Formats: sequence, C-alpha cells, structure tokens
Amino acid sequence: MEVTYLLLALAMLFALIATYLAIVEKHLVKAVVFSAIQSIAFTLALYLLRAPDIVLVYLPITVGIYPAAILFLIKKTEEVEQP
Amino acid sequence: MDLESLVTLMILCTIPIFVTAYILYFIRILKGPTIPDRVLAVDALAFDLVVFLIVLGIYFKSPILPATAVVLALWTYAFDIFIAKYLERREMGE
Amino acid sequence: MIDYVMVVVGGVLLFVGAICDLLGALGMNRFPNFFVRLHAATVGTIGGAFYPLIGASLIAFGSEFLGFYKWFVGGCSLVSAFLILMLAPAGSHALARAAHKSKASEVTPKVVDHLEEDGGVS
Repeated sequence: MEVTYLLLALAMLFALIATYLAIVEKHLVKAVVFSAIQSIAFTLALYLLRAPDIVLVYLPITVGIYPAAILFLIKKTEEVEQP
Repeated sequence: MDLESLVTLMILCTIPIFVTAYILYFIRILKGPTIPDRVLAVDALAFDLVVFLIVLGIYFKSPILPATAVVLALWTYAFDIFIAKYLERREMGE
Repeated sequence: MIDYVMVVVGGVLLFVGAICDLLGALGMNRFPNFFVRLHAATVGTIGGAFYPLIGASLIAFGSEFLGFYKWFVGGCSLVSAFLILMLAPAGSHALARAAHKSKASEVTPKVVDHLEEDGGVS
C-alpha cells in the first residue's frame, strides 16, 4: 500500500510542475509538449486509483485529439505569443 | 519460498530503478534546449511507462488493469508523428 | 517446475531491462546534442521497454495465483511488446528527419555533414 501512495505523490508532483510550465511558457509548441506531459502523469495517477475505464477515455482525448487541434490552430496563426 | 512471494520480491526490487529513470527523463524534459529534445524525452518516458503499468498490474494482482498499456503506446506514436509533421510543414512555408 | 523456470527467466529479463532503462536515462542527460541523444533513446526504448515486456509476459504466464486471467495479462504484454518494437524506431526516425530538415537543432562538434552538402532530405 505504501508503494501506491509514494507513486501517486510522484505523479502528481510531475503534473504540477508540467502545468505551471505550460501556463508560463511563451512558445506555444513547447506549451503543447508540457500539456502532453501533464496528461501522461495523470494517466499514472488514475491507474493507481484503480480507474482503468477513465484512463481509456482520457488518454485519446488529451494525447491524441487535443494536440492535433492545437497544432492545426497554431499553423494558421502565430507561433510565439506576443506580449 | 513459494511462487507468489518470489514474484512480489522481484517486482519490488525493480520499482526504484524505474522511478530513478523517470526522474532523469523528466530533468531532460525540463531543461531540453530545443523542441525535438523534449519530444524525444516524452517518447522514451511514455514507452517506459507502458512497462511500469503492466508490472504494477501483476504486483497489485488485479488483471483488468493492464489493458490501458496498449492504448498508451499507440497514442504516444501518434503524438510523435503530429510534432514531426508540424516541424516539416513549417519549413515548407505553407 | 516449469513455473519456477519461467518466473526466474522473466525476472532476469525484467532486471536487465530496468538496468538498460537507467543507462538510457543517464545517456539522455549526458550527451551533447540531439542526434547523439537518439542513441540513448534507442537504448531506453528497445532495451528498456521490449525486453522487460517479454519478461513480464513470462512472469504472468508462469504465475498461478492470478487465476484464469493470467493469459489476459500475458497477452496484453506480448501485444504491447511487438507494437513498441515496430512503432518506436518509426517515431524517432520521423523526428530525426524533421529535425534535420527544419534545422531545429544545431550540431555543435561537427566534422562533416554529407546530407546537408547534397541539399538536405527531399
């Protein structure tokens, strides 16, 4: 049981750092990569909480469809956020 | 020593090595200077997380859990292809 | 008896894969530029994900305490092992081609680059 709680704390720490960097980052493609890291860390967290059905739904949306839509929008507009 | 405690002991010995490797990959993601460095580190971290999910499924003795590992491998490859095609198209000037 | 043999062989493969994973992560932090880090990524994916998945499938096939569902766990492990064996080199190759074409990463200790002299990849 201690293994579960230690790994859960580690995964949520990864997700917190990745979320902060994705908000602060000015280059938008790097922000998409940080968002993917957050979703992969949440995959480990939801797996440790014994919810594999939520993982099966959460993973294609946040790793597959969301970066594809955001990259399509970035290609139509600018790449670096203007102040 | 019976079979169940042997399997549990072997998996408990390999968990700290995997966790150390994840922390080192995360350090490369944080300080990688260019975009392909970060995407390569994300790729390696996700493909190693597939191993970790199946090993934890054996350790918790709950056999329904490891079906998520196949989905993680397939969508990580799709993320790689998205970023690579974006970097190529930006150079073409479309 | 055959159960003990399968579990011990699977445990040895799992341990070798974990060591390969640690070496790949160390190389990812120590190497100087992107095209050298591809080597560390290959050690981390093929050596660190394919071998331990084969080992985990052997452990799952040999362990009787999982019940009937041990075939389910072992089959999942084999399928994801062969998917990683096909998909990881394809992904890293596409990424290397894009990085060389878009000049995203500079090769700092460079001696010669025949691909750039020929006009780059088409």
